[in-house]
Amino acid sequence: MTANIASPHGNQPGTDVLVIGAGLSGLMAAVHAVQAGARVRLIAEGWGQQLIAPGWISVCDRADDDVIAEVRGYAALHPDHPYAKAGDDAMVHGLEAFQAITAAIGLSYDRRRRDGHNMRLITMLGAIQRVMMAPRGIANSDWTDVTESILLVGLRGWRDFYPELAAGNLRSQGIEARAIRIDLPEPPGPWDRWPTDLARLFDSSAFRAAIIKQVQPHIRGVEKVGFPAVLGLDHHTEALTNLSEQIERLVFEIPTLPPSLPGLRLSNRLRRWLLRRGVRVQIGHPVTRGLVEGDRCVGVEVQALGHVTPFYADHVILATGGLYSGGIQTSETGRVWEPIFDLPTAGPDVPGREGWYYDRLLKERGHPIHRQAGLRVDHDLRPLNAAGEPALANVYATGHMLAGFNPLTDGCAEGIALATAYKAVHTALELDDKNHRGATDTGL
Amino acid sequence: MTPTAVDVLVVGGGATGAAAAYDLARRGVRVLLVEQSDLSTGTSGRYHGLLHSGGRYAVGDPGTAAECITENRILRHIAPFAIEDTGGLFVATPDDPADHPARWVDACRAAGIDIDALTPAQARAQEPALTPHITAAYRVPDAACDSFDLVHGFVEAMRALCAHSTLCGDLLAYHRVIRLVTNDNSVVGAEVENVRTGDRQVIHAACVLNAAGPWAGMVAGLSGITVKVKLDRGTMVAMNTRWVNTIINRLRPADDGDIIVPVGTVAVLGTTSVTTNRPGDHHVENWEVSKILGEADAVIPGIRQGRALRAWAGVRPLYEPPDIDHGDTSGHGVQRRFAVIDHRVRDQLGGLVTVVGGKLTTCRLMAEEAVNVVCDQLGVDTPCTTAAEPLPLPAFRQQYHRLDHRLRKLEHGQLPGQLICECELVTRPQIEAAIAGYGDHPVALDDLRRDLRLGMGPCQSGFCSVRAAGILHEVKEHSNLKVTRALKDFVDERFRGVKPLLWGHQLRQLYLDELIYRRTLGLDRLIAPTPEERLDS
Ligand SMILES: Cc1cc2nc3c(=O)[nH]c(=O)nc-3n(C[C@H](O)[C@H](O)[C@H](O)COP(=O)(O)OP(=O)(O)OC[C@H]3O[C@@H](n4cnc5c(N)ncnc54)[C@H](O)[C@@H]3O)c2cc1C
Ligand SMILES: Cc1cc2nc3c(=O)[nH]c(=O)nc-3n(C[C@H](O)[C@H](O)[C@H](O)COP(=O)(O)OP(=O)(O)OC[C@H]3O[C@@H](n4cnc5c(N)ncnc54)[C@H](O)[C@@H]3O)c2cc1C
Repeated sequence: MTANIASPHGNQPGTDVLVIGAGLSGLMAAVHAVQAGARVRLIAEGWGQQLIAPGWISVCDRADDDVIAEVRGYAALHPDHPYAKAGDDAMVHGLEAFQAITAAIGLSYDRRRRDGHNMRLITMLGAIQRVMMAPRGIANSDWTDVTESILLVGLRGWRDFYPELAAGNLRSQGIEARAIRIDLPEPPGPWDRWPTDLARLFDSSAFRAAIIKQVQPHIRGVEKVGFPAVLGLDHHTEALTNLSEQIERLVFEIPTLPPSLPGLRLSNRLRRWLLRRGVRVQIGHPVTRGLVEGDRCVGVEVQALGHVTPFYADHVILATGGLYSGGIQTSETGRVWEPIFDLPTAGPDVPGREGWYYDRLLKERGHPIHRQAGLRVDHDLRPLNAAGEPALANVYATGHMLAGFNPLTDGCAEGIALATAYKAVHTALELDDKNHRGATDTGL
Repeated sequence: MTPTAVDVLVVGGGATGAAAAYDLARRGVRVLLVEQSDLSTGTSGRYHGLLHSGGRYAVGDPGTAAECITENRILRHIAPFAIEDTGGLFVATPDDPADHPARWVDACRAAGIDIDALTPAQARAQEPALTPHITAAYRVPDAACDSFDLVHGFVEAMRALCAHSTLCGDLLAYHRVIRLVTNDNSVVGAEVENVRTGDRQVIHAACVLNAAGPWAGMVAGLSGITVKVKLDRGTMVAMNTRWVNTIINRLRPADDGDIIVPVGTVAVLGTTSVTTNRPGDHHVENWEVSKILGEADAVIPGIRQGRALRAWAGVRPLYEPPDIDHGDTSGHGVQRRFAVIDHRVRDQLGGLVTVVGGKLTTCRLMAEEAVNVVCDQLGVDTPCTTAAEPLPLPAFRQQYHRLDHRLRKLEHGQLPGQLICECELVTRPQIEAAIAGYGDHPVALDDLRRDLRLGMGPCQSGFCSVRAAGILHEVKEHSNLKVTRALKDFVDERFRGVKPLLWGHQLRQLYLDELIYRRTLGLDRLIAPTPEERLDS
């Protein structure tokens, strides 16, 4: 599949689809392209927002009942919203494909199949987030049908999880919750433990056995037991199952401060999956410039190891993220732009940055800059130029870099990433859904 | 226990009030210092951090220049713990008036300020980040001064002097003077209100010393008399590294954005001058930030692309004698000399003295002259001795305040416990000790910030705020709702100072912080906005 056909531009193997960005939408775009039989290269300056995000998949957090129906209704009324651009099918298929691939790589993501409602998940401060889909460990915290008490387990001496405060806030919302602290069976080192350090400890069954012994005496009247989301890195599923079996209660994870273990697990596994299918994965390589000939992008320049290297491709998926990941840049003078192709954004430049932020950080519905600082696209997800026409015939934009939604407040960021990744690849490769072979041939 | 009668009640826990309270204690007068908030939260906690050599005022205001250099030497002697001897440079660029340096040199000589001419090459050898286009450079005895340390130093020294007495030498923080009690053309005390509980009490005093900085006009107004204070707001921006190790002043007639002060791990750029009518007007406008960065960039090319951490504003209390009318609307032109007003003479109202204007650098002198008038009213003739003897090292600040000090300890394993604020190296034991220091009083996360620098580094509390809230909940046993509210308040407070700086890197940082608060924590789901907050834009 990756036959060495010399490209017209040099002796690199030919690339059908070049994905720029290793966030949720870039990784999934690469997966879709591979599944469609394309030759794929993925280049990213670094991993995307999954390493700082809690790890769940928000599709439409504010939906009270059927989430998909709510999105369909919303998209029908808001033709400029990324969901409308991607289309209903892309959303549905994008979610299915994600669930299939993650199951195949050994990281199950769950949702409420029964009624299609959002789950109600617990945060480290004891708040409730309504979310459609989550890694199994986090999904296990759904307290919608819980009738007994929830037990939160803290690790003594660890700075990133305060179970008493979380339990207190849960009780204030009428949810039965208690907290305990257990000792880490390892002596403290000279430095604080990062979530990744703890996760590696939880990969070991001997370590888990010592944890289980301390939790067992506290489970009477308890329906579920919550830990900070550090239950294993390479052997997470095994750790989760083992803890649940031994504690004899459903064990769940609560996302803590970055780095996000759920995001790290997903990144590691998807990368491995892509590499095994011949995808060139270049992480740590900043793309500095698009190479444009006429109305097409023929490739990009990458700055790495002290020199500039061009990489050529037939189609480019631009998935460089938004304000956080660097896909959209902002300047002191009020300029907002996309740096690789110098594309304009939806928010007009504002001299002096007036109106980007309100006075309070946690203002309801969030700050205008997040909604505006993104690309406008056509119904094929091709970014528009200042005149409102597709800037390049073969460049498609996905995920956080799209205008029209606030990834921090609208509760749809991951849903948009999945829907637009699916749509972009299917448009670029002119696939219809029958061509999409799904993730059935997989395994690691 | 709060005394109900003292000799002198000093209003205002800024540099001036603290220095005055210390001076009174040294003269054996029973004094009580009343502050509406915490020490150093008025102008003294929002200033530029420069112990002036006087160079900045040499041409326009020679009297203040002479006072600055004298007091500069005295403060170095009595409060070395608060001062970092960075030295200062005055540098001119091709854009600055060419005839100014010569006039400035003469004025400095006349004021007694030691200056050394440097060649541009020498200046750049000392500070390589300076622009190659310097046209003139001089070395001056400026220094960086930590006002929090200085003010705490005065207050602790006052307390130590009065340790044997239960009636005086105390600080009453979070108490606001809301009424002056008068009797036959004389002020005989004040009514104070505990701003946290609303409790009120009258404190009798033979004399009230009004050192309320920008609020001095309001405090004097409580007795029906008028003191005109010109309120002049100035903005500063802290950059995330020092950039320079010497204070850099622009050698030109005083203007916006002239000064760069290395303070701890940061460089503070400033400032502006905007007339305001509110003593508590601390808002920062985006144009001020752009102006300050632009001016600094002319002296240190590239600094504009650096990462700005935090912006804040302070209000200068400039005294306007009633007989002078300045057409100039910018405060840079107003004289910085201070005034001591003896209301017995000016308004036939005994028992009240106001001190206003001046600089942080001259706070000791302002205190001395004001206390001289107070003592005259009281019939005390003990002379002032504050210039002679060094202050004792303040106890609670000396250990951990400086980042390099903490880093050294951390690297040698002498800073035990979990690291809660990674930017400023604040540990859990330090937080617990600080919380314990408040005894039975409630503790805000912002109190811990001021005590320990918690949340003041590059991430502006994105990571440490929830950890500190968790610790507060554990050790202080505040209810979960109260602690969650405290977390929300701290998030709001920290945001105020970064909002004007949100572009590029700092915008990304706030994206991460907002993501943590909203998504990972769900803080906004736990604390509903107040009705006023819903309305604000
Ligand atoms: C932008 C800016 C930059 C500056 N830079 C420098 C510099 O680099 N070097 C320098 O030497 N000087 C500088 N200054 C000047 C210096 O900061 C001030 O002159 C000095 O801090 C004033 O101190 P203060 O104690 O008089 O007033 P403040 O520090 O304002 O103290 C007054 C106190 O009174 C309290 N108060 C008010 N009303 C009441 C009441 N009713 N009851 C109880 N308490 C009350 C307030 O809360 C406040 O804490 C700067 C000023 C500004 C604004
Ligand atoms: C030299 C210097 C260097 C600095 N470096 C940094 C840095 O590296 N990083 C950083 O983050 N920040 C830095 N700062 C800024 C600092 O963190 C504060 O932002 C700044 O001092 C302004 O204070 P504030 O508004 O943030 O809060 P505060 O200092 O707490 O002031 C709160 C204000 O509210 C008023 N107030 C509070 N309670 C009451 C009440 N009950 N009644 C009436 N009034 C009340 C106070 O009088 C005060 O004016 C620096 C400041 C200085 C002076």
